[in-house]
Amino acid sequence: MSRLRKEQLVGLLMVSPALILLAVFFLYPLVNSFYMSFHKWPLFGKPKWVGLDNYIFMFQDERFWESLKFTFVYTLTVTPMLFVVAIGTALLCNAKAWGTTFFRSIYFLPVVMSFATASYVWLWLYSEMYGVIVYALEFFGFGGENKNLNVWKTGTSSMWAVNAMVTWKFSGIQMIILIAGLQAIRDDYYEASKLMGASRWQTIWNVTLPLLRPSIALALILSIAGSIQAYEQFVIMTRGGPSNSTKTLVMHTVDMGFDYFKLGPAASLGVIIMIILFILTVIQLRLFRKNY
Amino acid sequence: MRRYSSDWYWYYAINYTLVIIIIFPIYWTLISSFKKPSELITSEPTFYPHDLTLQYYDQIWNFDRLKRLQDTESEDSESSGVEIESKFRLDGEGVKRPFMNSAIVSAGTIILTIIVCTLGGYALTVLNTPLKNFFFLLVILPILIPGISLIIPLYKLLKDLGLTNTHLGLILIHTCGMLPLGIFMMRNAFNSIPSSLREVAMLEGSSELKIITSVMLPLAIPGLLTVMVFAMYVSWNDYIYAFIFINSPENTMLNISLMKIALGGSQFEMKWGSLTAGSIVSFLPIIIFYTFLQQYFVRGVTGSAVKE
Repeated sequence: MSRLRKEQLVGLLMVSPALILLAVFFLYPLVNSFYMSFHKWPLFGKPKWVGLDNYIFMFQDERFWESLKFTFVYTLTVTPMLFVVAIGTALLCNAKAWGTTFFRSIYFLPVVMSFATASYVWLWLYSEMYGVIVYALEFFGFGGENKNLNVWKTGTSSMWAVNAMVTWKFSGIQMIILIAGLQAIRDDYYEASKLMGASRWQTIWNVTLPLLRPSIALALILSIAGSIQAYEQFVIMTRGGPSNSTKTLVMHTVDMGFDYFKLGPAASLGVIIMIILFILTVIQLRLFRKNY
Repeated sequence: MRRYSSDWYWYYAINYTLVIIIIFPIYWTLISSFKKPSELITSEPTFYPHDLTLQYYDQIWNFDRLKRLQDTESEDSESSGVEIESKFRLDGEGVKRPFMNSAIVSAGTIILTIIVCTLGGYALTVLNTPLKNFFFLLVILPILIPGISLIIPLYKLLKDLGLTNTHLGLILIHTCGMLPLGIFMMRNAFNSIPSSLREVAMLEGSSELKIITSVMLPLAIPGLLTVMVFAMYVSWNDYIYAFIFINSPENTMLNISLMKIALGGSQFEMKWGSLTAGSIVSFLPIIIFYTFLQQYFVRGVTGSAVKE
């Protein structure tokens, strides 16, 4: 056996664990999710071909539209919150000053915590009678005379409460992306802008932000894709309540599959989520390829 | 911006305010987990614990021991202290076992990911593997489709393979999810090593595996650490897979077991004390990783978003 021949065989052998894993735990489920979405899955017996019935069932289900609507509202509210904090901290950390490394590592710290743990932590901060945030809010006059503020009382207040947690937890990732973008801007631009007598805000608005556009787009897409996958924070903090007003698309899918055992419609929901995320990721990769 | 101008006072004032806001939830959870119930549950919050106690940690960790104690206690002693309160907690589960389960799954994911991604990255970079570029594209394909949209078929698959309720099932799924970033990072790492090093080792008659472990890997340590840290991040912080694929109480993962504390409990003060202690227990391993491997952590976690 020639040396080249042997090397090829060794190469195939070495890459095979990755390929087998990929085939079994990615490619097969990927194909199967389409197959499952076109079949009825009784608890016993064989799956039956039902064409588009699962999709029709899903689209006629009011809970689907409610969860879709909520997921969009959540995405549209949390994305600006995340972005404002991320761009602010990124600009702060990009200054030529003592201590930026320290500030950056602190701003990134909550990212390290899992969404689940962060949710438990904030559940305590929001606790109805003894939570420190509720205490502070009541101190400033929220919750009325008798001080019985409960952030989980309405769907809207629940969502804003979760949004605050997610902003705390997740803006660090976008900050890092924006810092990478900021560092790629050459100093000449700032010097030119200074020579022309621009104030600091004018420089940020007219020089930094336009040049940062690719990173901004990437950060936004990332936040949108992440919000569409939202699950833990709502399962733990609101449990979808009050009266299913904070149920996300993924929560609805899980409920459909594992509470109602309707695997067919659940699989078709998975396909819908997959298509939305696929489009977003393609945009994200294109942005990234084009600009870096 | 000149130094010592008043701008800099503002700069640091804003930064330190933000630092305090960011740290506060963690600080508050930490001190809450050490406060005595009477201090924890009060309408006048205190900003540092006056009386330290380890009772919540003791309870959530050693629940099984407490339960046995409680079973053997006689009627009258049951009315006192911790034992009776533990009866209302956790539905009979502590976090010691879930902690171990999570540790096993994380360790398994880290080890398997490193093996699979090192071998794969090596074969797709250094060796003359046929269809190299096609395989590489195939391996990074999962970044286009997040695993969360495949939970239903994945559940079915694990069930058919008999891997639901097992550590192995979770390890395999996490490892598969790690492939795109892992192989990408290892490929980059191996690419930057000059090929002459390998040729010298080959002339000395070393086998391919020997070359990887003694020549290539020591030079690829930054890439390896990034992969390791991200594998830890993904597996330790996972919630949805652990929630759906594991049903038996003895195989519950840590993040899920905390949900039982959060839901449970007519004993209010015990619930919040246990939950804050549990949150700290679940945060501890990952914060240790972050402290020592910060730069790799940032690279790995953001790399997952930024990929190529």
